[in-house]
Amino acid sequence: MTRTTPLYVKIILYVLLIAGSIVMMFPFVWMVSTSFKTVGAIAQMPPQIIPRPIDLSNYETVWNKVNFARFTLNSFLIVGADMVGALLSCALVAFGLAMFDFKGRKLLFGVMLATLMVPGQVTMIPTYFIWKTFRALDTYFPLIVPSFLAGPFGIFLIHQYIKALPKELYESATIDGCSPPGIFFRVYLPLCKPALAALAVFTFMGAWNNTLGPLIYLQTRSRYTLPLGLLFLKSENPNQALLMAGAVIITVPVVVVYLLAQKQFIQGIASTGLKG
Amino acid sequence: MHKQRYWGYVFTFPFIINVLVFLLFPIVFSAYISFTKYDLFNAPKWIGLTNWINILNKREFWLSMRNVSMFALIFVPLQTSFAFLVAFMLNQAALKAKSLFRLFYFLPVITPWLAAGVVWSWMFNYQYGVLNWFLGLVGIDPVNWLYSRSWVVVIASIALVNVWKGLGQSMVILLAGMQNVPHEVLESAQIDGASSRQLLTHIVFPIVTPMVYLVMILSTISAFQTFDVFLGLFGGITTGISEQSMVPNIMIYRDAFLLFKLGPASATAWLLFFVILAITLFQQYFEKRWVHYD
Repeated sequence: MTRTTPLYVKIILYVLLIAGSIVMMFPFVWMVSTSFKTVGAIAQMPPQIIPRPIDLSNYETVWNKVNFARFTLNSFLIVGADMVGALLSCALVAFGLAMFDFKGRKLLFGVMLATLMVPGQVTMIPTYFIWKTFRALDTYFPLIVPSFLAGPFGIFLIHQYIKALPKELYESATIDGCSPPGIFFRVYLPLCKPALAALAVFTFMGAWNNTLGPLIYLQTRSRYTLPLGLLFLKSENPNQALLMAGAVIITVPVVVVYLLAQKQFIQGIASTGLKG
Repeated sequence: MHKQRYWGYVFTFPFIINVLVFLLFPIVFSAYISFTKYDLFNAPKWIGLTNWINILNKREFWLSMRNVSMFALIFVPLQTSFAFLVAFMLNQAALKAKSLFRLFYFLPVITPWLAAGVVWSWMFNYQYGVLNWFLGLVGIDPVNWLYSRSWVVVIASIALVNVWKGLGQSMVILLAGMQNVPHEVLESAQIDGASSRQLLTHIVFPIVTPMVYLVMILSTISAFQTFDVFLGLFGGITTGISEQSMVPNIMIYRDAFLLFKLGPASATAWLLFFVILAITLFQQYFEKRWVHYD
């Protein structure tokens, strides 16, 4: 369509897209702007986009006094464990499903697709009962252990990738005297890097943004994750600048990860239709 | 495919445990406690259909279903049509800075709900909110977005935030579909004198209907399961969510984890699941009328 696009169509295109972009980005601008405002400037009309004076103390208060430093550490700890667990377990299971013919394989594959449809609200209460029985409430186990047990989304993602690799790989490795675990760790795992990278990004986003899990399982304040910390802060009714500083602290890491791994993320969504 | 059965079970062991412990057991147990009086501390007591009947007679349940249906009715068409429009515009060959535009529209998708919630609730603030200030500039009276006496205003405001948050995800799926439209087809149609609008309605739209369908199914399901947007905007379950803004998942959470009424909470969860299932089947039934596969 390149040559035939008339100028007025181009202008309309840019005007619409830029107007839409302003609407989409405005809440971010407002969040950052408010986070640097003094108490006096927060409610000032007309609103200031660039605050005068720029006040850094909100970040200091949120980071030290509200202890977002600790919440950030907790979030990174849980997210890191989740990433290790999800990558390892999903790759193992995907490899098993793709390589071996065993009784129940088809059933397991069907269950995997069905799991994607079972609603969280139905399994949430019994899952809480399980963790209560194991005396694991108010610990990180309920937030970390499930990711070591391979989620259907991750299995699906890596399974599709392994399926597309040449089948001769497995045979030639067997002839060279490699055992199945050896083949998995030395041959397939390194080859799956692109799929693993995509899963890593999805796991990061999902775990970082998870609110319901920590809300159900964590009680002690020093164990809170960032979203829970922000929820707690909001319930205390602080001034808006403090809240926005908290929101910026939560948002910056995901944006950085997204910018670094944009390609994998977009391809993952486009090919599976799902997110995390 | 290799006939080393033993290894098949070894490798898939994590997932087998997952299915047994975190899928099959919860389904059975959840169905069971929906017929009991259970508070997590004392043993469940069988009370038959009592929970189910109570919920179906409860005003709050029907209000929450009303709210979530209105939420879906506003959210799904708006999100799908905006996402389609943006994807179509981003797919124009003449457009420059595509990836920058895509970033702008996609950023809300990855933003944590709590962060989005606190910002929007601040922008929605009746007295000091920037949205009412904008309205004032064009001479419109301030709107009490989240705490309006009209429930439709409350639900519509929340649905709009949800569109802002989710548009990018639908856009990416639709864009992937549009990129599959072969360039030769478009070019030959143009040579034959087709206008841009004809290209859109007769070529691009029919080819991406499976993607549009996928996007609509996914956003309908997510609308009925909505939770985070309400939590983020109101800043808690017990603060500010009234009957006017109650939705099933918030009710389930409150009944289960704040009131320890696990029987009613489980029954509500199942009812919500049946509603979602019915709507998905309904959408599937009408799929053949407008979705083209080939």
